[in-house]
Amino acid sequence: MNWITNLFARHWRNIHLLAIALLSVILIVAPSVVMPTVNQAILSVFYWPFAEIKTGLGDLHAVGEENHRLRQMLTQANVNLSMYQEAVRENARLRSVLGFEQQSGYILLPVEVMSISGDYFPVSAVINGGSNDSIFVDQPVINQNGLIGRIVSVASDYATVQLLTDPSNRVAARIAQSREMGIIRFTVSEGMILDNLPVQGAVNVNDTVLSSGLGGVYPPGLRVGVVSSVERPELEPFCRITVTPFVDFHSLDELFVLNMEGR
Amino acid sequence: MIRVLPFLLYLWLVSLHQVILNDATSIYAATINIPAVVVILIGLYKSELDACWFGFMVGVVTYAGIGDSMGWYVLVMALLGYLTFHVRAKVNLESIYSRVLLVLVGVLIHNVAVLIMAGSDGVFYLLVTGVVTGAVYTAVIAWVFFLFKEGKITAKKLKAIF
Repeated sequence: MNWITNLFARHWRNIHLLAIALLSVILIVAPSVVMPTVNQAILSVFYWPFAEIKTGLGDLHAVGEENHRLRQMLTQANVNLSMYQEAVRENARLRSVLGFEQQSGYILLPVEVMSISGDYFPVSAVINGGSNDSIFVDQPVINQNGLIGRIVSVASDYATVQLLTDPSNRVAARIAQSREMGIIRFTVSEGMILDNLPVQGAVNVNDTVLSSGLGGVYPPGLRVGVVSSVERPELEPFCRITVTPFVDFHSLDELFVLNMEGR
Repeated sequence: MIRVLPFLLYLWLVSLHQVILNDATSIYAATINIPAVVVILIGLYKSELDACWFGFMVGVVTYAGIGDSMGWYVLVMALLGYLTFHVRAKVNLESIYSRVLLVLVGVLIHNVAVLIMAGSDGVFYLLVTGVVTGAVYTAVIAWVFFLFKEGKITAKKLKAIF
């Protein structure tokens, strides 16, 4: 027994360094096993109190201004709603005439951002809703301005959202005015761009970009951004289109997860 | 437990920065790399094992939620603590400017490592707009911290100016 104590005493420093290296290796080789527990613990101990303070401060600051703005928006929304309801009735009538299936609706699950990851631009966000709140992988996430991203991992009380500003994220999109289709992706040097749109395609600056619904993750019609520049290179098949997103990805707070009805 | 308490407070400081102060203090893409600075300061003023463990914990807290590559980020942070301690043990860091230089180099190395691990396109663009400017910005903040710590700036002196 004594020799074990001696061994520990003699190699105390090396044992610590080895422990740090081992823990790092565990995080590297088995992220899917360790990460949910680690993330949950870190977020609830370190991030949650400050996220609550941030939300509280933001709420206090903005509540009066927001109230005024919301009243205006409510009035406008009521007008739009009556027009929308009329359009829905007309759509249902025409669908029944043509024999189309009814589309399913979405429920908005409100969530708050607990932390945002990414060193030079936001890549992912952790939200305070998880599988206990009926949140699942691949559900789209939006805010009042437009599309934010999709859920990529879910724990019981939190979930991680892959933002549109993650360079590995892709969204099937279309131009609202001309219905031309392309793919939205983010690059560090150029920002958000709309790819795969032919040079002869009808697209102009200030056109609105919406999700097209292709691919099955994002439903059609979610606001993505507005076309800020269009180049048509002579010897290339596709336009070079940059898009300014409607969402400010540096100041995310309240988000909504789109939960498909009946899921 | 009492020995761990200050480190816990530093970790909360890092979290506070990540959640609230990061956006407020950033100038375009240049941000203050508080996690790296705190690890370097622990490497400067505490023991080797404190620096390594604290670097490890700061890595875990800072990069929780980053994804599968979290382990690499954590390892880099722990290495930063380890290297800072050994630089301090071998180099004379009496002057404030030598410590500021150490912070500048340490943060620069950390920023470059993070940039490489992120593996995104536009590396040279980010090198200029985020990595170098962020390291300089952080070094300036560290310089002000050292001035306060050494008593070169005091509340009395500040009052006298205004």
